[in-house]
Amino acid sequence: MSQATAPVLPARYQVVERQEETHDTVTLCLRPVDQPIPAYRPGQFTMLYAPGIGEVPVSISGTGPELGLVQTVRAVGAVTRALCACPPGRVIGVRGPYGTHWDVASAAGDDLLIVAGGIGLAPLRGALLAALGHRERYRRVVVLAGARSPEELVFARELDEWRRGGAEVAVTVDQAVVGWAGHVGVVTQLIGRVDVDSARTTALICGPEVMMRLTARELRALGVPATRIRVSLERNMRCGVAECGHCQLGPLLLCRDGPVISYQVAMPLLAIREL
Amino acid sequence: MSGVTPADLAGHPFLRGMADGHLAVLARVCWVAPVRKGHQLFAEGDTARRFWLIRSGHVALDVHAPGGRQLIVETLGQGDLLGLSWLVPPYQWQFGATAVQDTMTFEFNAAAVQAACESDADLGYQLLQRVMSAALSRLQATRVRMLDLYAASAPVRGGP
Amino acid sequence: MNNASEPGSVRLMEAAALDLLFTSLHEAGYRVIGPTVADGAIVLGELAAAGDLPFGWGVQLEPGGYRLRRRGDTAAFGHSAGPGSWKQFLHPPREKLWSARLAEGGFEIGQTGDDSGRDAEPPRLAFFGVRPCDLRAIQVQDQVLGSGRGNSRYAARRAAVLIVAVNCTEPGETCFCTSMGTGPGAGPGYDLALTELVSGDRHAFLVDVGTEAGASVLAGVPHVNAGAATIDRARSAVADASEHMGRSMPAAGLRELMAGSYDAARWDDVASRCLTCGNCTLACPTCFCTEVEDVTDLSGDHAERWQHWASCFDLDFSYLHGGPVRSSARSRYRQWLTHKLGTWHDQFDSSGCVGCGRCIVWCPVGIDITEEVAALQAEAQDRKTGDAGTQDGAP
Repeated sequence: MSQATAPVLPARYQVVERQEETHDTVTLCLRPVDQPIPAYRPGQFTMLYAPGIGEVPVSISGTGPELGLVQTVRAVGAVTRALCACPPGRVIGVRGPYGTHWDVASAAGDDLLIVAGGIGLAPLRGALLAALGHRERYRRVVVLAGARSPEELVFARELDEWRRGGAEVAVTVDQAVVGWAGHVGVVTQLIGRVDVDSARTTALICGPEVMMRLTARELRALGVPATRIRVSLERNMRCGVAECGHCQLGPLLLCRDGPVISYQVAMPLLAIREL
Repeated sequence: MSGVTPADLAGHPFLRGMADGHLAVLARVCWVAPVRKGHQLFAEGDTARRFWLIRSGHVALDVHAPGGRQLIVETLGQGDLLGLSWLVPPYQWQFGATAVQDTMTFEFNAAAVQAACESDADLGYQLLQRVMSAALSRLQATRVRMLDLYAASAPVRGGP
Repeated sequence: MNNASEPGSVRLMEAAALDLLFTSLHEAGYRVIGPTVADGAIVLGELAAAGDLPFGWGVQLEPGGYRLRRRGDTAAFGHSAGPGSWKQFLHPPREKLWSARLAEGGFEIGQTGDDSGRDAEPPRLAFFGVRPCDLRAIQVQDQVLGSGRGNSRYAARRAAVLIVAVNCTEPGETCFCTSMGTGPGAGPGYDLALTELVSGDRHAFLVDVGTEAGASVLAGVPHVNAGAATIDRARSAVADASEHMGRSMPAAGLRELMAGSYDAARWDDVASRCLTCGNCTLACPTCFCTEVEDVTDLSGDHAERWQHWASCFDLDFSYLHGGPVRSSARSRYRQWLTHKLGTWHDQFDSSGCVGCGRCIVWCPVGIDITEEVAALQAEAQDRKTGDAGTQDGAP
């Protein structure tokens, strides 16, 4: 049974590199053992299989060498702990890519504003790299990243490279000790500092739901239309192929109609408790 | 002579929309004050005699904890008001403030500003509205930080 | 006697010939699944012969109540809303998706599908006695699970099914197929459709031939051309049934009603009664939600992935970041009903409800969705008139 006729069987991917981002978050660089999965678009996710343990949805953070994938996992349960512990050489399963994408290209000619909270920077990294790969297509490329503390900032080692690639990058943390040269405060407080041109901005937001709501509200108050603000939503995903019913959010099946949703669509849904 | 004109102040985001007359009063009791990187503007416990409007740069509010750790409470930058404790008794700084980068400010004589507000209630109201706005914004942001949204969530238990 | 039937033709056969119909189905390689009496109910199971059908049995239905009763005649299909539906055969309660060997720091998928293997032909099943509402339910599930691109082997199983539908002439107390546009006459999609005609000693079936496969099965069974009078009698009986439905739903606007009702007070009312037991989701012929589970054996060398039925009433169903998103009974009941009647349209382009009434019958506390919808509608109407009353700005 080849992978081509059985799209929902996990494809085998080997861990090539394992980078510890924080005390509980690891970035895995994966390379296909057999056939690679189809090419991904930033914003999409895969179902990662820890052999014998289970599967979880994980955003794709970028591509790796040899048609590989870069995926960042936070250890919060049995499956994610097992994935985070995988050493180079271990083979795990990958299904996908699934879901909607950030549609970075739609921001061509305008300012691209990327606002990330915590591990929300992982699904946005792919969008940023895609934009920097064609830097001339965009006016400003601005990244605002919030994290709990400097030690818990993911991809910290890449920020300078992003700046060299043409992105304005500002970071803020909730807690820091003196010596930290960045901001201390919430990520919405950075928005006022970057002089958003609301008529020509496309904003991509990812992070805890509360953070996304507050950020979107701030941007709308500045005049950025809800149709040009995109968020990445999350619900319990089990199959990834719109068959198990778990990932519903009102009329949406997030594995198929999301995770990237326009704030215009998301706003009324996020306002309903326990939806 | 302070060297600061009402027009200089009008350009600062904190004072946006303030009447020329009021700006003129404020201009008389402030001066341009550059702050070098690493310089401490005030220390925890000092009497709050001045306050600042940051024009450019980066200031950290900090607090000292045992074990030699100095924690950053919040950072402020361009457009921000630095200093709230000068407005309310006991007029004492609760945190220290240190310039993280070379910073340009308008520095104000707190007592003189208060006196001006006492005699011109209009000016007082205008100023307090802006101070309140800054304080509210910081309070809301602080509350969100307290939610610790980026921490790994523990199961929420709501009863037996 | 046996003219070659073609799709669209209408024939008549005696009830006594049902056994030959079964023989014909068996000879064509089908196992026959149909209603039969077991454990105090009329359930779906494999039938060896026509005699296994529930001749002379009817049911008495009410919210939270189901009783078998003896009919005054020998009708085989004078019943409705049994606890099972055809989904247990097309979308089984438990299914192995694949198994793998775990070794050398990786895994290797071996067998896919159940123990007979994913590529093995699923058994050919003849669904005998599919009510129009249930036929529609199968088609609703086709839309969700039938693409062939997901985990489920639904498409393969579905392709191996032959459908003998039975039109309804006697709706149950809890039926409302007419409101949902799914009956009492079967819509397209059957291979054969029977209409039972019982009066005095006469017991016959009008047979509508739907497909070549249906015609082929019928060819081996004694039948005649149906006369105009007989056809008329059968059609009238079905048409009359639509006038005698036990319940009804609003004809249009359910999607909008659900979308506008998220804050309704009625949800608290139903939540005070709902046990969140999930019986409705088990009995409902369109509910499709599943859970995927990875298991290993004790040696740790062998892993399997299984899929089994799940219910949105389970607390775990909406688990996210340390707790369920839908924790209260209110939110879980609301999810089920607004999905079934409302957001199903957004997700799958149709209603999820076919008006079979099973959820009403099999709810242990007798929650009746037609009553809930009526209450939600009344509340929405009150809100509208209430808003209109304050439109001039009066507090």
